[in-house]
Amino acid sequence: MTKLTHCGDRIIDEEAGPVSRALQSRPGVWALGLFALLSVLATPAASAEQPSVEDRLEQRLKDLEAELASVKAELVQLKAERAAAAPVPAAAAGAMAASAPPSPLGGLNLWGYGEIYFTQPVHRPEAAQADLARAVFGIGYQFDDRTSFNSEFEIEHAVASSSDVGEFEVEQFYVDRQIAPWGTIRGGLFLMPFGLLNEHHEPTNFYGMQRNFVETLIIPSTWREGGLQFNVHTDSGIALAIGATTGFDLSKWDFTPAQPLYTNALELGRSDAAPLQASHQELALANAQYPAGHLAINYTGVPGLLVGAAAFAGNAVAPVAPVALSGNYLVTLWDTHVRWTPGGFDLSAVYARGAISNLAAANAAHAGASNPIPSAFYGYFLQAAYPELWTHDSYRLAPFVRYEYYNMGSAYEGVAGPVVPPPFAGTGTWPENYDRVWTVGANFYVTPHVVVKLDYQSFDVNRDFTRIDLGLGVSY
Amino acid sequence: MKTGWVVIPALIVPAPAFATQYLTVEQAQRALFPSADRFEPRDLALTDAALHEVEVAHPAPVARPRPSSFAADRAGAVLGYVYVDEVLGKQLYITYAVGIDTAGTVVGVEILEYRETHGYEVRNAAWRGQFAGRTAAAPPSFGTNVKNISGATLSSRHVTEGVARVLAIHALSGH
Repeated sequence: MTKLTHCGDRIIDEEAGPVSRALQSRPGVWALGLFALLSVLATPAASAEQPSVEDRLEQRLKDLEAELASVKAELVQLKAERAAAAPVPAAAAGAMAASAPPSPLGGLNLWGYGEIYFTQPVHRPEAAQADLARAVFGIGYQFDDRTSFNSEFEIEHAVASSSDVGEFEVEQFYVDRQIAPWGTIRGGLFLMPFGLLNEHHEPTNFYGMQRNFVETLIIPSTWREGGLQFNVHTDSGIALAIGATTGFDLSKWDFTPAQPLYTNALELGRSDAAPLQASHQELALANAQYPAGHLAINYTGVPGLLVGAAAFAGNAVAPVAPVALSGNYLVTLWDTHVRWTPGGFDLSAVYARGAISNLAAANAAHAGASNPIPSAFYGYFLQAAYPELWTHDSYRLAPFVRYEYYNMGSAYEGVAGPVVPPPFAGTGTWPENYDRVWTVGANFYVTPHVVVKLDYQSFDVNRDFTRIDLGLGVSY
Repeated sequence: MKTGWVVIPALIVPAPAFATQYLTVEQAQRALFPSADRFEPRDLALTDAALHEVEVAHPAPVARPRPSSFAADRAGAVLGYVYVDEVLGKQLYITYAVGIDTAGTVVGVEILEYRETHGYEVRNAAWRGQFAGRTAAAPPSFGTNVKNISGATLSSRHVTEGVARVLAIHALSGH
């Protein structure tokens, strides 16, 4: 293959012969060639035995013709290659504007996020913990203008092995097929479109080191299901998602844990105390006998405003009980959410409520249990932030305050509620499954993709949970 | 009674032939300057050093340092200019166009292509309307005079940065 080297304003063909290079760089050499031809014509014959002058001239002419043909071919090739290598004028590039590369990596997309934190319970300093909570790697591929694949793989708590607390999870794994400019079909394992956080849970997207409790305990955090989803959006700012997915499995429910499922706020967030957190299946050999449906609608037609709601309904796999159970266990969950940025403020609120039906017999069969299945649970939060209290270069300080209430068991069927096991009764060490939490703190953005977070979180009921959080989040 | 999965096939709609391109360059030109009778490609008389200065002052994750530029004419008189550029959304590029009148004021922003599954809200007319009237002296600023789009933070931020960069380039181009 011909190799071109830029040398100043010239392009040099490094594989061209010395004659052709000379001809290319000095057109005047053609005159020298003609002079040589004339010299040959003027040279007398050396002897009678040698070829005649006419024969020698004819041979030399043939040689020169061959070389000239070769030089011409090389020049044609060189011109073509030079034209291909030359930068496209800006004006001419206009016609190409719409065919820009979809991604800096061609069809391949790579992204990720993660967070490291230190948490210090104020009243229990011995329970301080530091954790690489999650490292997530995203891989996507754009097959064509209408078909793309996205996946996210998560390592929780730094080390995932049989003898460690960490986990390796597939958080998302789906294909999107655009069927119209306004609509997309999604199939695979995907995040459910609930609340403000579930689909946008990267640490740079929310305030506070830990995700809020409403979107952890009532709406499961990074709640995903396997199935199909149809997405529609309009230019006026209305987005609609409707889908059919897998649902919940109550056979995993532990009615009688011998120990509290959590003893501090950190454990609460990742425990199986929350009803849907404990029974979601994450498409891991998921029981798929009961398909569930969901519907979500969001409106962003007014700049700075997001208003939305979502609902889910589907039968769950029956809980395990020492008696025969019958009927369906319908799980419903709905939420409504709003985010508004008037002036320099960032205001948001979420209300979420869930229910599970037909639990009287299952709970009654576990009378006196410390952890009956709730028939209702709900929570809400109100949050105010000032995203640009201070800015300098790429630095940005965003203080915030949030009030939230969660109740993981606001109603029970078949029993009055949880019964604290005798060893813990009256000790105050068995936590309540509801609380009112104030969080105040700040996100300090080093860049839009790197954030340092500090906050103080006060629990009104489980007062020992009050803590200070400090952490680092990245998203790219 | 168990609900079956039979409902799922009903959601799968036959796919019509189309591309993710919402507007061609020509359509965007017409949308920005509907009264123009001609759009003439033009070279930006900017040195690489000048473009570098713009990049430093108005960083934006763009695909190429020099946007395409067109003059919008009517009966031989210049009405304004159209710039076509590509800026990163989250992982994929967004192709957008900015219309600037002869006074250097943004008359509109159009999204030609959006390729990602989240963040398409930057196509909303109301959100794009925030750019109208911005100038190089009073450029769009994300979070202040251009609102964030919840769930499309990076796309809305980058388009805002891209428009500010185009305004700076236009101001330097001497038109």
